[in-house]
Amino acid sequence: MIKGLYSAVSAMIMNANRQQVLSHNVSNMEVPGFKQILSTAEDYLQTSVADPMDILEDRDSVREVGMLGLGVKNGQEMIDFSQGGIQITNNIYDLAIQGTGFFHIKTPEGDRYTRDGRFIRDASGMLVTTEGYQVLGKNSQTIKIPDGQVEIGSAGEILINGVAASQLDFVEFEKPEEMLEHDQGNLFKTNGTPTAAKNSSIIQGALETSNVNSAQVMTQMIEILRAYEAAQQMVQNQDELLGKTISSLGRIG
Amino acid sequence: MAYSLFHTLNISCQDMLNRMMDLDTIANNLANVNTVGFRGSRMNFQELLSSQKLEGNTVNNTQVLNNQGVITRTDNPLDWAIQGEGFFAVKLPNGEIGYSRDGVFQLDSKKQLVNSSGYLLKWDGQIPKEATSVSVENGGEVIALLTDGTTKTIGKVQLAVFANPTALVNAGNNVWIPSEASGKAQMCVPGTNGCGIILAGAHEMANINLADEMTHLIQVQRSFQVTSRVFQQTDTMISEAIHIRKV
Repeated sequence: MIKGLYSAVSAMIMNANRQQVLSHNVSNMEVPGFKQILSTAEDYLQTSVADPMDILEDRDSVREVGMLGLGVKNGQEMIDFSQGGIQITNNIYDLAIQGTGFFHIKTPEGDRYTRDGRFIRDASGMLVTTEGYQVLGKNSQTIKIPDGQVEIGSAGEILINGVAASQLDFVEFEKPEEMLEHDQGNLFKTNGTPTAAKNSSIIQGALETSNVNSAQVMTQMIEILRAYEAAQQMVQNQDELLGKTISSLGRIG
Repeated sequence: MAYSLFHTLNISCQDMLNRMMDLDTIANNLANVNTVGFRGSRMNFQELLSSQKLEGNTVNNTQVLNNQGVITRTDNPLDWAIQGEGFFAVKLPNGEIGYSRDGVFQLDSKKQLVNSSGYLLKWDGQIPKEATSVSVENGGEVIALLTDGTTKTIGKVQLAVFANPTALVNAGNNVWIPSEASGKAQMCVPGTNGCGIILAGAHEMANINLADEMTHLIQVQRSFQVTSRVFQQTDTMISEAIHIRKV
């Protein structure tokens, strides 16, 4: 009986966790390039169950009657790398990616990759992110933008007054789900080797919106609430049953 | 993974506060949709994640939008619009130099060029007493129209450009001051490399697109609504956890 109580509670914890992930996704709904986090649930441990009569009567051999699940736990979080919408901003350093490509960023913690194309030309003319991290070009070189008319082509080539000046390191990952790990601030780190982008293109003067869909979020949220309620009801039932057992069993007269 | 429903409440709460700041920015942009030479701003939000703990989002910075506003003709020789990069340098009452694209100039009682906020334009030259009006050429040469009907070049006005004009700080009255991130002002001759030209008899309208701002407004309102629903639901979940025991 206690096993059931803990199983029910595990479902409450799991759903509270899903709610947290959902809340994080919602609060990043307006962050360009944000990729929603998908929460998963998996079966917790299994235990074998013996025939209760065998135990009660203290028989020599205990007969196994099957396996019992001990509840649920949160599985590994996954990132949904699907394409977000493209929103036109007409800002020359706003870049959106159509396809599966990533920009290469240098942070104090090491190399990172992002889909967030809100870049800025800083006071020294370097191309940086809104956090001030350097945007990297070919061979992991930082990019300096000289004065002049800036044009950024679909493969990441930077033209100043129509003349090629530098090139963004625009990459793709064969299996982003496996090769990229979510890091702080909309960035990803990798344990693999990226390849030059072939099937993606950059759009200048636009941003990729997050791929969080509010309609999907609302339905997910109802699902979470109902699952949480059901689990809470199960806890109550187990509690009642336990209470009855304690108070009624063994009562004389 | 660390989890707490109260932390989830906090994520939503922080997000609602951030949406309200975003709304303030939109309101300021919309309020200045008819301000000559005004530059709109945008707030850059970023995901917040500390040591793999989900924390919602945070404001990274506010970016000044630097695209060109629409030029409209006014035929007043003292209305100067900038097409391209650059700002007029004006003297602020505290003695500092501010930068503005507001090119609606007037001649004050001392025959000095002041903009619509009353700040003196910084330029090389002097307006003669016999001038009836003053105008400007594309390259920045200031021209006086004299009482006898002739014109005379009386000086030059230069424009200030910045390495990163998106990081200028709004000082109010349509004036911007440089910050560490924007770099220092560099004066340039209008029409030369990287420097815009001056058009006399024209206004540059605010670089705000009404349709874009309204769409953004709707977006902010809807995402606020979703977040407040998430907040309410987290609250319901906490309440259910509290009332798990039937009395």
